[in-house]
Amino acid sequence: MTGTRTGRRLGWRREVIVSATLCALAAGGLPPAALAQPVPDASEIPDLVGTWDGGGRARRVNGPNMPWVPGENFPVLNERGLAYQAAFDEAIAPKYDCLPSASPALQYDPYMMDVTQWPDRVLFRYEKDDQIRTVWLDGRQAPPTEFTVQGFSTGRYDSGALLVETTNFVFDIAGFDDYNGIPSSQQKKVTERYWREGDELRMTLTVEDPMFLREPVSYTTRWLPGPEGYKLQAYNCDPFEAGHPRKFLVPKYR
Amino acid sequence: MRSLLWITGAILAVAVVVTGVPAVAHHASGPFYDPEKSVEAIGTVTKFVFRNPHSFLYVDAPNADGSTTSWEIEMGASVSMSRRGWTPDTIKAGDQIKVVGQPSRAPGTFGICCAELTRPDGSPFRP
Repeated sequence: MTGTRTGRRLGWRREVIVSATLCALAAGGLPPAALAQPVPDASEIPDLVGTWDGGGRARRVNGPNMPWVPGENFPVLNERGLAYQAAFDEAIAPKYDCLPSASPALQYDPYMMDVTQWPDRVLFRYEKDDQIRTVWLDGRQAPPTEFTVQGFSTGRYDSGALLVETTNFVFDIAGFDDYNGIPSSQQKKVTERYWREGDELRMTLTVEDPMFLREPVSYTTRWLPGPEGYKLQAYNCDPFEAGHPRKFLVPKYR
Repeated sequence: MRSLLWITGAILAVAVVVTGVPAVAHHASGPFYDPEKSVEAIGTVTKFVFRNPHSFLYVDAPNADGSTTSWEIEMGASVSMSRRGWTPDTIKAGDQIKVVGQPSRAPGTFGICCAELTRPDGSPFRP
């Protein structure tokens, strides 16, 4: 990920975006992108392409205070959030049945991530749980009645960063993080800002969820370049092994 | 009856350093395992399941009274372990092994987490 390589990529990307827009105009229609964001200047498009390591080499991992640190950025729950947290039973967490992790936990899971940038979308592929998120850059809006585990993401480039907004999540009893038993609702909105600092990929993520949180909360993290030539492995979550540790819990409910 | 040697103190950091095995990343270990205690098992591997989101190692350890305890040792995700050189054949059925780690919390269960794995002679078990 040298400067030379980055410059070449940015030039190529800009040509593709301009070409796609001109082709659409010639065909008699405008792509949604033309309605949403003018063709961005190449200097506004960060080079995010590659395989990125979000494991212990890049950041502290594995613990109840990561990335949410009490006294710093730990969320303030409303009464509903506190009630759900108090009633939460670890055994019910969907991950023990291989349901995938979602934002804002997915980004902090200590695994590899692969990013692809196309003119009309950015693809985030996560080794954890074989997940893929599509960030649409073409101006389309979130469908009002379609809710999914990963939600619906739209984005745009601004000042050398990719800004992503994701809504339309399904309710998740453990949808805020992997450790603290905090749920998330259909009203969850996750905003991400990705940018490059040298060889590193940086991100600041903000979560809003008025159903459970009194105010928005944020964390910032980073990824390091993955090993040269590394290809994401299939995760193929095993339902038996996922739920295997449940037997070691002292049951909260009978 | 467990043949256990209970020792006070957590061993997570030591386990990661000694074995190179990623600790549990899929979930918090605290609700399942007691970090204030340590348990030791020496025995024969019966099965090594190399999977996601956790791998599991099964060890039969003889007790002083002639009985056998079947231990289930939770390890990391295979995608993470494979990046450190682990494969499904790194540990085989029949291998002799010593395991030191945090015991499972539920009464009557014989789980171990965050474990240090060594050969009976004390050398680290590495891929």
